[in-house]
Amino acid sequence: MAVDTTPTVDVRARLRQVPVQELVLPVVIIALVIVGVIIRPGVFLTSDNLLNVLTQVSITGIIAIGMTFVIATGGIDLSVGSVLAAAGIAGGLLLPYGSWMFMLGAVGFALLLGSINGLAITWGKVVPFIATLAMLIIARGLALWMSEKTPISLIELDILQWFGSGRVLGIPVPAIVFVVVTVAGWVLLNRTTFGRRAIAVGGNRSAARIAGIRPGRVIFTVYVLTGLCVGISAILLSGRLASASPVVGNLVELDAIAAVVIGGTALTGGKATVTGTFFGVITFGLIFNLLNLLNMPTEIQGIVKGILILIAVALQRRD
Amino acid sequence: MSDAGSPLLEVRGLVKDYPGVRALDGVDLTVTSGQVHCLIGQNGAGKSTLIKCVSGLVEPTAGEVLFEGAPLPVGDPNASIARGIATIYQELDLVPHLSVAQNVFLGHEHKRGPLLNRAAMHRETEALFARLGNEGISPAASVTTLRPAQQQVVSMARALSHSVKLLILDEPSAVLDDVEVDALFGVVRRLTAEGVGVIWISHRLGEVAELGDVVTVLKEGRTVATELPPDTPVDTLIRHMVGGRMEALFPDRGQFRETTVLEVRGLTRTPDVYDASFTLREGEILGLAGLVGSGRTELLRLTYGLDQPQSGEVEVGGRRLPPGRPDLAIRAGLGFAPEERKSEGLWLDWSMIRNTSIADLSRFRRGPFTDRASERREATRHLQSLNTQPDAPQRPARLFSGGNQQKAVLARWLLRSCRVLLLDEPTRGVDVGARSEIYRVIAELAANGIGVVMVSSELAELLGFCHRLLVMREGHIVDEFDGATSTEEDVLRSAVPVHHIAKAG
Repeated sequence: MAVDTTPTVDVRARLRQVPVQELVLPVVIIALVIVGVIIRPGVFLTSDNLLNVLTQVSITGIIAIGMTFVIATGGIDLSVGSVLAAAGIAGGLLLPYGSWMFMLGAVGFALLLGSINGLAITWGKVVPFIATLAMLIIARGLALWMSEKTPISLIELDILQWFGSGRVLGIPVPAIVFVVVTVAGWVLLNRTTFGRRAIAVGGNRSAARIAGIRPGRVIFTVYVLTGLCVGISAILLSGRLASASPVVGNLVELDAIAAVVIGGTALTGGKATVTGTFFGVITFGLIFNLLNLLNMPTEIQGIVKGILILIAVALQRRD
Repeated sequence: MSDAGSPLLEVRGLVKDYPGVRALDGVDLTVTSGQVHCLIGQNGAGKSTLIKCVSGLVEPTAGEVLFEGAPLPVGDPNASIARGIATIYQELDLVPHLSVAQNVFLGHEHKRGPLLNRAAMHRETEALFARLGNEGISPAASVTTLRPAQQQVVSMARALSHSVKLLILDEPSAVLDDVEVDALFGVVRRLTAEGVGVIWISHRLGEVAELGDVVTVLKEGRTVATELPPDTPVDTLIRHMVGGRMEALFPDRGQFRETTVLEVRGLTRTPDVYDASFTLREGEILGLAGLVGSGRTELLRLTYGLDQPQSGEVEVGGRRLPPGRPDLAIRAGLGFAPEERKSEGLWLDWSMIRNTSIADLSRFRRGPFTDRASERREATRHLQSLNTQPDAPQRPARLFSGGNQQKAVLARWLLRSCRVLLLDEPTRGVDVGARSEIYRVIAELAANGIGVVMVSSELAELLGFCHRLLVMREGHIVDEFDGATSTEEDVLRSAVPVHHIAKAG
């Protein structure tokens, strides 16, 4: 008898330990793939189409990885969409000096704006929502002003365009960059002292301070880090479009935040998952792709996306 | 009043299972109107779970709860409140920034039409305070400006703003100093005289004899003794709680060395601390006594660099610490265990390992990465050396008792190999069994040359094993006593402000 019942109890106990919340997204993704295979057999499940999905989400995805760190500390960065445009324009101003200077300029400018966010929040003690809302407005203004409201053509920059639409072994470069940034983000969050400290600050700031962590430093760094991600995204986006436009990046911040949140990172801070963010980004990409394949109007995408955010987050909040 | 003496609450065979843990394993308890029923037991004995079952916050797995002879709906806090059961939890749950009256009537505000009736609420709040013998608190004051004892009175007023037949107090005296505890006793006696039944949960066994009418002891989720008279000897109570032979509560005082490890000179931060100076030698255990609000916690925080002093300086091992920089204080060898263990000391969702390693993460750095295997090994070793129970360092801190959580904080500083430990109420919310272990740990650390500064509201504890006691009163260090030869009376006389004595006399 005892021999019979013990394993059952074990299995049940083990089942109970499986984090249901973390399974929501993989299940959604598998469901989306099945739906895709059923409705568009022979088109959906091709490496071309799936790589296409990965490429389409790469720009928002890279930003969402940075956003994961910001949200882990209990903050938020609303400015990423505007900074994305401003970084592209800043790079575009260096057009005569070639692709590498473009990239340096774009990343440098995004880092600068990210540092200003960080300083406003730590040194200026402005809450992240307001500080980055202000930056959202400022950076868009900068993008429009620096470009005199006209897109800059980058058609001569071959190397830059390779980053946006080139391929390595048949895989689009943006998709590769997105995966590399995700892996780097995962390592940074889960395998370095910085990642641990970021979660510590988000989870319990006063305990972090008592344990010798300097919360201000950690918080400053996550905004700079997000700036770096935005800069990388600006390179990929400008390369793909072969131009830098002051009006790109609208609402990217909301897509990034939504991906982070459905991934399972807590908006209150203290709990973060890069894997979850990656899955969140992929989920949105698949929905976009499926609806496209079905020739559904873009309005429908918004509705489906919004409903999915609600359902996914509601499921994750269950015990 | 009329049915004083009749059974008010009957709990029979209550069982509560959590995943992997049986918190209650058949608890029986009968509480009578007009009586103070003391509920004691070690941390993890099931006291909190029991009262949560009664107050409806937690749904029991089996067993029944009868209130005034009728079954109480399980898992329905509103039903419990409606029937007249009020609970005041260990952590005060007042809403900061709201006024006293707003807190008292939170959730059942008086209205006139669609608008709040402030005047009526203020009037009734005042009436409640009068009933509690605390007329001094203004209903319009913000609760953040009140001292903990006054906040407790507000919580009680909130409980009494519903019609209460049974009042449950979970460690009400933990945040109070001795004078305030006396005042609270007065309040409880008034209520029992009105026929209210009271369940009083406490770790201070002395209170049982002073206030209780009947005592129940829980151990490992079971009722091991009930209907004990209040004059049951403390030794007997502890034997029931521990379930075996009682250990010597306080360890021996070790020898300290002559080398000064910490020197504090003229620290001032008005209005909390004025011109505080003291020295600490290697291996010395220095007690900081004083009433709650006398500046003890603030002095520790200034020493550690959590707050900026207006003047004064701190030297560790002869090197001056820059003010306001806990990270540099830690580097110089200081460690701090805050009074608010849960909100300032720990990450409750983190494993005990992570909670232990957090102050010394750099040590586990291998290149750019964290060496998690050595982190786990080191943290586990220190947790085990403090006999942290259960020995499951992967489990989140939330699942551990107060005493074991405190050990995680101590293990953190052991791992960091600190030279000076600042402990703020290290045994608050820790049961008797675990307390003597914490004392032993502190004494061992001191024997290894670590200097310890310890704040406590319990004089017995300070006199029990500190080498030296400093007494703070209204922000000043006013007296120094030898730990081995002084009495509680000596210290208390010096700790109580003069106008208190005048009032008492």
